[in-house]
Amino acid sequence: MHKIFALVRASWLVGASYRMAIITSFGSLIVTVVPVFYIARALQPMMGKVVQGQGGDFFGFVLVGMIAFMFIGIAVGTLPGIISGSVSSGTLEAYLTTPSSLPTVLAGLMSYDFLWSFARAVVLVITGAILGAHIAWGKSLLAIGILALIVLSYLPFGILGASLMLWFRTTGPLPKAVIGLSGFLGGVYYPTHVIPSWLHSVSSAIPLTYGLRALRRVMLEGKPLSAVAPDLGILTLFIVGLCALSVLAFSRALHDAKRTGSLAQY
Amino acid sequence: MTVTLTRAGAPAQITRVNDSATMVRVDGLTKRFPIRRGWMQTIRRPFAREHATALAGVTFTVERSEFFGLLGENGAGKTTLFKILASLIVPDAGTVTVNGLDVVKDSARVRGLLAPVIADERSLNWRLSARENLRLFAALHNLHGAAGEHRVNELMDITGIADTGTKMVGQFSSGMKQRLLIARALLSRPSVLLLDEPTRSLDPLGARRFREFLRDEIVARQRCTVLIATHRAEEALELCDRIAILDRGVVRAVGTPTELASRIVGERYYLWTLAPSHPALTCLAAQGTVTNLVIGERDEAGWTRVQLEIPGGPRTASDVIAALAAEQMPIASFERVRLPLAELIERIVANRSAVMADA
Repeated sequence: MHKIFALVRASWLVGASYRMAIITSFGSLIVTVVPVFYIARALQPMMGKVVQGQGGDFFGFVLVGMIAFMFIGIAVGTLPGIISGSVSSGTLEAYLTTPSSLPTVLAGLMSYDFLWSFARAVVLVITGAILGAHIAWGKSLLAIGILALIVLSYLPFGILGASLMLWFRTTGPLPKAVIGLSGFLGGVYYPTHVIPSWLHSVSSAIPLTYGLRALRRVMLEGKPLSAVAPDLGILTLFIVGLCALSVLAFSRALHDAKRTGSLAQY
Repeated sequence: MTVTLTRAGAPAQITRVNDSATMVRVDGLTKRFPIRRGWMQTIRRPFAREHATALAGVTFTVERSEFFGLLGENGAGKTTLFKILASLIVPDAGTVTVNGLDVVKDSARVRGLLAPVIADERSLNWRLSARENLRLFAALHNLHGAAGEHRVNELMDITGIADTGTKMVGQFSSGMKQRLLIARALLSRPSVLLLDEPTRSLDPLGARRFREFLRDEIVARQRCTVLIATHRAEEALELCDRIAILDRGVVRAVGTPTELASRIVGERYYLWTLAPSHPALTCLAAQGTVTNLVIGERDEAGWTRVQLEIPGGPRTASDVIAALAAEQMPIASFERVRLPLAELIERIVANRSAVMADA
């Protein structure tokens, strides 16, 4: 944990040196959430019944979707970005020459982005609550747990992207495809049952579909763990399967990179 | 100590040392890299694979607290060798041990013993101060709390960057960044330090100061075993106890600079004489006792400087002087000069190429 903390601290110090970026990072949240509030309010008469099983309030529904979507973007995109940047700069080589293991180093480098996103998510929720979203504050811990599971289910795509980055110096269309499909068919801005029936099978193969449904029921309706257990069970299956696949791919990619000497080639 | 030229791919004959005194042992190290092919070649022969040999049977040893130089042109294989030592690249064949530990099988333990100074300044975090850069890597080297802080302060003092305060590394000069890279590498008190062309981005004065720092601080006080890869001959000459000459992935020779000069290409002398074309000198040249005669310009008094090389060491040189004196050749001065290492390497490589061509 000392090592992860040191890496998070260093990332924070770097981030803090870009003061304007910090201000705009939080400022942009306000600029985004206020128009969403007014649009959601305007659509509430039409969408209220559609989102009945997930809080019934369309603004709250979209707000939770935005937060989860922000996290899956980080889970999918951060690791390939770290690999790409650190290979190009030579910092990955520098980290690998220390007795620290690569998973520890990568966890430390990613943690800052997740903590930063968590801070932004808190600001979003508080702003949403001020604007009138119904938040079940008593279920905050459970909601954070579900959010962590959503992140864990998307992290393997980030690890696969990092493997592709080590092999081919590009992730190809993987991150955009995963994020795009999850955004359109995972129930971020509308519930999955309103999409055409022929797309339901695609939607049911997306982890976000289950994670987001559970998160909304807990955060907006205050449902207990038992009510969302089936969704969380499926999410866990995704995590186990995808993690095994991605760790295998990354180990192979790292071995190949060490064999071909490409850890510091750009 | 023995110095020999070697055939391509065969190990250089090296000094046998006591195992306990050996810090780094490289034995038959071979590494090939796949060659990136063009689109047309890939389409024509999609499954063909071509490789470039970076290292071919490299063998040498480095003793404890020795300053060992790897000298060679760009592409000779120096960086590949260092990356294998640092367990960043896996070799195709051969073994490398550091203090008896295999760099492939015991990579984690080797990383605790050996620290490569990655010469690329970009591997530093430019938006952090020197202290914060060191704090981060101290934590990654398991140095926490007061122990880590003490080591950071100590290294900042040693490397002369203690007064940089909160200044970001991006605002440092190249020399300061090199010092920080050294400090970073020394955090874990490594037994072996790998320096890959450490002065390439320094001006001549900065490079000289840096070499003084390496010699006085790193080797004399810290007692580190140092391997330095460089293509700057003067750097190797000034710093190294022994040198391995690497040429296209093959070790051509290993030895001290003096040994390499005297045993491989002979020694160079300057002779001041009034009769540069004296029959005695011409005769010795014809016999091959003296070689590479170069007659220089005459000074106002009529003395001419003749440059010559005498294979066989000082004893043969003494015989040459006696022979010339016996023939009453007028000589004002006879001085031994050190052969520039760059020239030495050139000759070793050329000699090797000629041997290969003959074979």
